This record gives sequence, structure tokens and C-alpha cells, in this order.
Amino acid sequence: MEKLLATIGQNLFVLFGLLAVGGAGVLIFSKSAVHSVIGFLFSMICVAGCFLSLQAEFLGVAQLLVYAGGIVVLFLFVVMLVELTKYQEQGIFQTQTKFAIPLVGIGLLIFAGVFRAALFGPSAPEALTLQQGLVGATENLGNAQAVSRGLFANFILPFEILSVILLVALIGAIVLAKTERV
Amino acid sequence: MIPMTPTLTQYLVISLLQIVVVLGFVMTLVPLLTFAERKVIAYVQVRLGATRVAGGLWGAQQGRTHQSRTFTGGLNGLMWWLGRVPVFSILRGLPMFIADALKLLTKEDIVPVNADKAVFVLSPALAMVAAFTVFAAISFAPGALFYFPASFPFLGGLPFNGFLTDINVGLLFILGVASVGVYGIVLGAWASNSKYPLLGGLRSAAQIVSYEVPLTLSLLVPVVLTGSLNFNEMSTRMATDVPVNGLVGIGRSLLMFVGFFVYTTCGFAETNRTPFDLAEAENELVAGFHTEYSGMKFSFFFLSEYASMITVSALATAFFLGGHYLLPFGLQPVWNHFFEHSSNAFMAWTCAPSILWFLLKIFFLLFVFLWVRATLPRYRYDQLMNVGWKFLIPYTLIMFVIAALLRYAA
Repeated sequence: MEKLLATIGQNLFVLFGLLAVGGAGVLIFSKSAVHSVIGFLFSMICVAGCFLSLQAEFLGVAQLLVYAGGIVVLFLFVVMLVELTKYQEQGIFQTQTKFAIPLVGIGLLIFAGVFRAALFGPSAPEALTLQQGLVGATENLGNAQAVSRGLFANFILPFEILSVILLVALIGAIVLAKTERV
Repeated sequence: MIPMTPTLTQYLVISLLQIVVVLGFVMTLVPLLTFAERKVIAYVQVRLGATRVAGGLWGAQQGRTHQSRTFTGGLNGLMWWLGRVPVFSILRGLPMFIADALKLLTKEDIVPVNADKAVFVLSPALAMVAAFTVFAAISFAPGALFYFPASFPFLGGLPFNGFLTDINVGLLFILGVASVGVYGIVLGAWASNSKYPLLGGLRSAAQIVSYEVPLTLSLLVPVVLTGSLNFNEMSTRMATDVPVNGLVGIGRSLLMFVGFFVYTTCGFAETNRTPFDLAEAENELVAGFHTEYSGMKFSFFFLSEYASMITVSALATAFFLGGHYLLPFGLQPVWNHFFEHSSNAFMAWTCAPSILWFLLKIFFLLFVFLWVRATLPRYRYDQLMNVGWKFLIPYTLIMFVIAALLRYAA
């Protein structure tokens, strides 16, 4: 019993990871857009589970709060209110298949390389554990403190650049919406 | 007693026991709450409320209550005979809550023909799971409630804690899991494939998403004041932190006082209760998102609404009303200063944390929920959005700045 529980505890990451991939499969392959969003939600919750199984409880809960609680709700709103069948008949979706397939293939190769290095490479045991040293913390910090020290002290410049990228995406969305209306 | 570290299996067994206790508590509280709702609103509106099912120590009895031979029935009969209104009429109709539960269980379960069946079944479950998982991070008492006696098989000497888990980010966990509950409403509304549920679902989803912002911001005040996200640590420090000087202490208490009202207002909106129950505005929307639901599926929505009322009350209690201590709004240190070393055992006891205070405050806040429902009319939809975006969010931001200043001063 004890051994079984310990084994389950150690493999929770793999379990949640597979479930997340399953949710992503539902997201891509289901016919109904709302079912896709449910798959997406499931996938997001499972990713939060992955974070939790790596003892990154702050990241896990933030994932739940931001993605599952915020972003997917907005997705659902849009999908629920837009009649998608109309656009399916016009054939405006899935027009880029012949470009997409080679790109996905290249992406798969790259990810396979990364996963191979992370899971079986020389630094495999450290890759999946929280390292206080990375954020320059000497004392034993809590999760939230470690993340915030990383974001707002050690990596403040990349963090701000990321937010500028988000701003670019926002302006882009406004521009797209504007041109459609004129 | 030397604290023992439980093995994984023991830990699992204790956790399961705790889950059973907490679930049992919530599941009994909810039907009682629906009964209390009838009685309290009746009392406010000078009616008697549910009286037809007479309750006594020897079971339920239907019929002419003042002649029934049950225990309370007998006392009430005596009072009728004396020509007075029976005081025990508060117990009349109590078995009604069992009847209500049985009715929900035995009602026909209808799934509309054009509904999306899988999502239609999934969404009440989602609402209920979200509403109940939250209790994993709520602490009913700090530390152990009791220790299993050493002779107890398998679990001897281990503590039975007043909380399920003591995670470092307990508050965020509660907010995150509770925010998943909105899917139950939106998906249920969509899956019904009917106009009224869809409109009601959209309304309440917009309401919940907008009020989540001031709710979270108002909870940031205790986070900033205590510098922690751990439920136990936050509630204890909010109740007992001794201020560095009087001015900071007074400011802190005032902030908690205002914060309590702001938080409770947002909590009312989050749980879709009057005066914010636009999702089920009967005069406009039939019954809102659960129009097409019946039987057990409906009662899942019902249970989750009442469970989230308990959650909101628990959070308000923990962070603004002094949590496991006697006095609200951070006044406990003053009380402790005078009575902590008192020779009177009772007064010394009131200085210590206890599950009793926590539960009493929760019950009082649940009463406030019913009280408000009996008193206030419903907001109009544009008023609701105005209150949320134009008043509550600026207020909470100002509170947040003041909290940061107080933290800086401390």
C-alpha cells in the first residue's frame, strides 16, 4: 500500500501530463466549438495539476486562476455567441493545411529533442525540481516569494519586454477589428 | 505529546475521514439553511413560514400541529390552551427540510431533446465540484481538533486537524477553484439549448466575472497587511497582530471594517444572491440558467450556490471578522491585553482560538444572507454593472493603497 501510494505520487506528473494531452486532443478534434473549449479547460486544469505535482503550488494555482478562471471563460463567451457553422460552409478555416503539416513536423522534432534532453539527458534529475539557486535565493523561500523575486528582481527586463509584446498583440487586435468594420 | 509524522497511508486515511466530516457538515448545513431561509424570511415578513410538518423528538408528524402528541407538539398544545402563540413554533416544519431533499431526489429527471446531453450532465457536476473543492483550503480551526487515542487502531496518537490541507497559497487556491464554478453556469445555460437559460447564463457569467475583480482586490488587503497567502497564518495574524502604535492599529481596524462590507457585497454578487440575483430574475427570465434543469441536476446547482454562500461567509469570517478568535476587526489584541492572564478561566479561554467562534460567525453571516434577501429589492442590470465597475473597484483600489501605506508604517 505504502509503496503503491509512493509510486502514484511520483508519477502524478506523467499522469496529469497525459490527461492534458488528451484534453488538447479533444480541443483539436471535436466537431463542436464548445466541446473544444471544454477540452481546453480540462487541459489547462491538468497543466495546473502538473505544476502542483512539481511542488510549484503558486504557479499551479495561478494557472488555475488566470487560465481556467479567466481566459477560457472569455473564449467560451465568444464561441457560444458566434454561429460557427456558417463560417464552416464558407471554407474560411483550415485553408493552410499544406503549409501547416511540415511546420508541425519541424516543431515536433524540436520538441522531441528538448524532451529527450530534459527527461533522459545528463541533467534529467534537476530539470523537474524547483531550484532556489536559480532565482538567487539563499534562504529557503516560499513559492510565491521565489517566483516574485525572479520576476521583479532578477529577470525584470525580460519580464517587461514580454509585457511590451502583449501590448503589441493588443494593438494588433484593435487594428484588425477596426479594419473589418470600415 | 510528541507530534508524529504519519505515513502516506495513514495520511490518506485521516484526510478521507476529514473530507467525510467536512462534506457531512456542509451537506447537513445546506438543507437546514434552506429551511432557515423559509423561516427567517417569514419572520421578517410577519408570517409563520413552513408549519405543516410538525417536528418532535419522536419524529415527524403530519397534521393539526397543536394537537399532536410529539414533544414540542405537546408543549405547543399547552401554549395554545393557555391562549398564547406557541414559542416552539420555530421547530414546526423542521422535518420539512427532509421532505424537500426527498422531493429533489425523487423528482423526474428531464433532459430536453435538443440539449447537448454530455455538457448538460457535466455542468451541474462542474458547479458542485468547484463549490465543494474550495473547502479543502478552508481552515475551521488552527491546529489539531483532537488526537486519536493511542489505543486507536492504525491511527493512534495522530492529530485530527481542523483543516484539510495547509497549503502556502491557500487563499489563491480558494479563489482559483471557485472561479471554475462559473463554467457550470455558462455551460449549463448553453447546453439547455433554450433562450431563457442562455440569457440568464450570460448575465450571471458577466456578473461573476466582473465582481471577481473587486472580490479579489478586497482580499488583497489582508494579503498585504499580513504578507502571506496561507489561510491559517493570514487569519491568525489579521486577528491578533499587535499594532506598532495606536494610530496604525485604529487605521487597520477601520480598514478591516470597511473591507468587510466591500468583500461581503462582492460575495453576495459572486454567489448570485439577492440583491444581485439577476441570473434568476423570475419576472424577466423565468428561472435563469437552470430553467431546463430538474430533479437531482437542479439540486446540484442549488447545493453549489449554498455551499459557496458558506465559503463566502468563511472567508469573510477568517479575514475580517477575527477568524478563530472572539473579536472581529483586529480588536482581539486589546481584549487579550486585559484578559489573557486573568484568573477567571472562562475569560482566559476567550483569548484562545476556538472552532466555536469560527462556526458562530459563519452562522451569523449566513443569517445576514437571508436577512438581506428578505429586506432588499433586486438591482437593475445596469445598476449592477455600475456598482461593480464604478464604485467597488475604485473603493477596493483605494483600500489597497491604504493597506500598503499601513504595511509601510508598521
